[in-house]
Amino acid sequence: MTALSRDAIRTMMAEVLQAQGKAMPVDDGANLEQIGFRSLDFSELALRVEDEIGEELNFDAPELRQIATISDVLDFLEQLQAA
Amino acid sequence: MSGAPASFPGAGNRIITRSFDGSWADLGRLDLPAASAVLVRDNHDAARAVWTAATDGLELLVASRTRVTDDLAQSLRDSGLAVVDGDSVAAPTSERAAVPGRIWLLTSGSTGRPKQVAHTLGSLTTVAGDQPRRTWLCPYAHGAYAWWQVVTLGIAHPGQDILFIEPDELETWPARALQVGVTAASGTPTFWRQALYRDPDSVAALPLEQVTLGGEPVDQAILTRLTEMFPAARVSWIYASSEAGASIAVHDGLAGFPESWLGQESAGRATLTVDDGELLIASPKRGEGIDTVLRTGDRVEVVDGRVLITGRIASDEINVGGAKASASNVRDVLQAHPAVAWAAVRGRKAPIVGSIVTADVVLSGEATVADLTEWCSARLPDYAVPRRVRFLDQIPIKETLKSDV
Repeated sequence: MTALSRDAIRTMMAEVLQAQGKAMPVDDGANLEQIGFRSLDFSELALRVEDEIGEELNFDAPELRQIATISDVLDFLEQLQAA
Repeated sequence: MSGAPASFPGAGNRIITRSFDGSWADLGRLDLPAASAVLVRDNHDAARAVWTAATDGLELLVASRTRVTDDLAQSLRDSGLAVVDGDSVAAPTSERAAVPGRIWLLTSGSTGRPKQVAHTLGSLTTVAGDQPRRTWLCPYAHGAYAWWQVVTLGIAHPGQDILFIEPDELETWPARALQVGVTAASGTPTFWRQALYRDPDSVAALPLEQVTLGGEPVDQAILTRLTEMFPAARVSWIYASSEAGASIAVHDGLAGFPESWLGQESAGRATLTVDDGELLIASPKRGEGIDTVLRTGDRVEVVDGRVLITGRIASDEINVGGAKASASNVRDVLQAHPAVAWAAVRGRKAPIVGSIVTADVVLSGEATVADLTEWCSARLPDYAVPRRVRFLDQIPIKETLKSDV
């Protein structure tokens, strides 16, 4: 498996938002609720990552924690790839 | 018709296969045991088996050789049928008396393991009354219920000729049909979509008077396309299965059937009801031993006075974070897009929301994922809009002429 870089995941996240007619803020500290990035969008992003790396992500592996910002999403998906 | 048995008015009809062109009566006969499952290589084999069994009053099952695994062959022998494969005859492993005139059909079964449903030539003959002279295209898999419907039409009614198409001729059939003079054709929506996608000009050149669809949910988009392509033809859709028999026939060019048909009882016709969104059928043409009122497992919804059959209940519902998306509904929305030739929709396991809606799409024109997303967003709730769309080069089709999605 070739893990995706944080930048690549960020680009994908921007694509998910764009498909919903929303813009990706420059600031990774932006709140997900405020930018309209919902659980369905997160699921789509996870599947995009899976399709790109050709492997299913194991969501049971990392510790669950609050995901509130863009940075949280990127951290989480980076961690999942390493799990 | 000279020499045709009186009980088979269609004996003199012309049938055309890849290796035969003549009448039923000219086919020649097979040397068959009193009860047999005949594994056929092509429609010539199949037609000969049918004609032999019909005229001799034998018990028969017809199936493509490619469909019958060793396990299935063994279970057929265990059920009292000799398995005939070319010159090879494997005797039944259980002794019982043959049932003259019994016709067995194989269904896919709810578990995926084929099961046998009992019919007779009479129960499989679902068209009554005088019929206009026609040459039918029969592209169905050997021994399938729809195949038998065309075959019994050809045996029971004079003037009903048949051009049989083998599975490997599905890409080239329009030229053959034009050459033979086909005027009526029956196929699944996937069959028609594939034909119109591959070679619409050749299909449009056919002098069709009757266009029939069945075997899968029939949506308005494909009915409209065919109605526009063949303005002089009657475009019909039929609901039929091995278990339920031929139960619904609609000829007005619209998807679904009139709501007023629900609950109507009429001699010789199926009674249709709906329970908890499921279609229930009581049909005089049902298979033997099938419940009088059959729960079909097909989901229906009533829209603007029409009862639409949308898909299988078991596979239709996609749970997206607790919201229920209908795969068939999403598929119909996609297939109504002017640049979409075919679509299949399913759920895909996804984190957090459990599953999300995904789609495979074959385009007939220019469209991007963003175009399709916008189209669906305007017509579907948010959770039902496909989040992953994959473009395919070809419309996938199985020997059943279905996409099985």
